Amino acid sequence: MDRSLFRANARLEKARLAVVLGDVEAGRREMQQSQHDAAGARDCWIAVGLDAQIRPQSSHPVIVAGRELALWRGETGPAKVWDDQCPHRGMRLSFGFVRDGTLRCLYHGWGYGEDGRCVSIPAHPELAPPKTICAGAHAVATKYGIIWSNLSAARAATVPEIPAVTDWRPVRSLYIHRSAAVVLAGIAAFDYGAPAEPATPAADVYVVTLGAQTQLLLALQPVEANKTGVHIASSGVDATADRLALVRQMHSLRDAIEAGTGPSR
Amino acid sequence: MALKLYDYTLSGSCYKVRLLLGFLELTYTREQVDFYPGRRHKSLDFLAINPLGQLPVLEDGDLRLRDAQAILCHLANKYDKTGKWLPRDPATFGTVMMWLMFAGGEIMAASAARLHDLLGYDLDIAAARNSAHAAFRILDDHLALREIAGAQWIAGDHPTVADVACYPYVALAGDGGIGHEDYPALRNWLRVFRTIPHFDPMSGIPEFA
Ligand SMILES: N[C@@H](CCC(=O)N[C@@H](CS)C(=O)NCC(=O)O)C(=O)O
Ligand code: FES
Repeated sequence: MDRSLFRANARLEKARLAVVLGDVEAGRREMQQSQHDAAGARDCWIAVGLDAQIRPQSSHPVIVAGRELALWRGETGPAKVWDDQCPHRGMRLSFGFVRDGTLRCLYHGWGYGEDGRCVSIPAHPELAPPKTICAGAHAVATKYGIIWSNLSAARAATVPEIPAVTDWRPVRSLYIHRSAAVVLAGIAAFDYGAPAEPATPAADVYVVTLGAQTQLLLALQPVEANKTGVHIASSGVDATADRLALVRQMHSLRDAIEAGTGPSR
Repeated sequence: MALKLYDYTLSGSCYKVRLLLGFLELTYTREQVDFYPGRRHKSLDFLAINPLGQLPVLEDGDLRLRDAQAILCHLANKYDKTGKWLPRDPATFGTVMMWLMFAGGEIMAASAARLHDLLGYDLDIAAARNSAHAAFRILDDHLALREIAGAQWIAGDHPTVADVACYPYVALAGDGGIGHEDYPALRNWLRVFRTIPHFDPMSGIPEFA
């Protein structure tokens, strides 16, 4: 797992502790520092969810390499990925709710605009929130029906290019209690019931070609040392019965990897 | 017919019954039982009402019923003239029963974790959380398949007693240290559930999630 993310997490813990102990200012300092540490994270795009699963006006909890993130969407527009912590007192923003294009914290209702800046403080309606109060927003891209995020400040890397296929449809997000390395090996070893040609166009991304028509895109999300998310899209599987069968097969893929019937770790 | 619920506000099992009473727009009286710290559900008086010493209990005239799942079926069977909350058609009935039993069985591990974290119950918290996660994954898998089929409820095209029985301990899981990170279909089902007319939120369930 990424060193800088671990550092950022330790900072977040300290920030929470400071708030609990009543030192809100110290908490805010720690929190800002944790955002800087996270910005030093590896420059790569990580799949964090299926676009279709993040409905309008909803906020969801996601964990990437141990770091808690809020994945949310306004009434319209692309999904956003923020640190899962309200700049006010550290409440998880994934518990928040969406009103008028802002994400509102469940605790005291502070509202944050799409750029992360605080735009309303209900207890002080007369006050224009200081510009410095800002949720930790990360870079997001939506491609192949999958939401990707880059937690680094560098952002030189691009979202993995998948050649040829353009009509990806969302299938399923799996969360597998194994490391990313074991999951990748399991994806390669799985019996898909058809001749399978696996390829890795990028780190943590697999494309499995099944016969002439069908392709599966499997993008990995490191969650914790021993847990990995896999966000799956398909091309060439369109009839409802076939899509149901594919989802069932993906559940079996997960169960096979956890049962260790593939190469073990 | 007078309905009376032996109730405890923070109980997820009592919340199952309150939810359906609300959906069916039934009026009832609540007898608050001091579950914590009073432990009145284990008092001799209450054991005479429910020998299992558990909440909820519903009285409907002379009828006295325990077990949330049984109570949900009774209410739907007797008071829901549409038949939608307890479908009798052979294609749906069995599935509804299966998930109803799941709610009173496997999902109750999430209730145990919550009792541990909120009220300090002495139990194997790691085992409770693991069991709850295993149950949530099974329901999430089911709901993911339902989404692909264009459906949003556990069975059929209308919420049923199975949705009502599963909802509280899935929604309240955070109280027991069980997150929803791994269950995207479950999260969307929770959101849709809140749009049922006469839905009543409960403390511990994020009001606007
Ligand atoms: N099978 C019962 C279980 C209900 C239950 O666990 N109730 C809790 C309160 S939420 C209780 O009374 N626990 C005390 C005990 O089991 O001793 C039902 O579904 O109604
Ligand atoms: S913690 Fe978010 S508004 Fe107070």
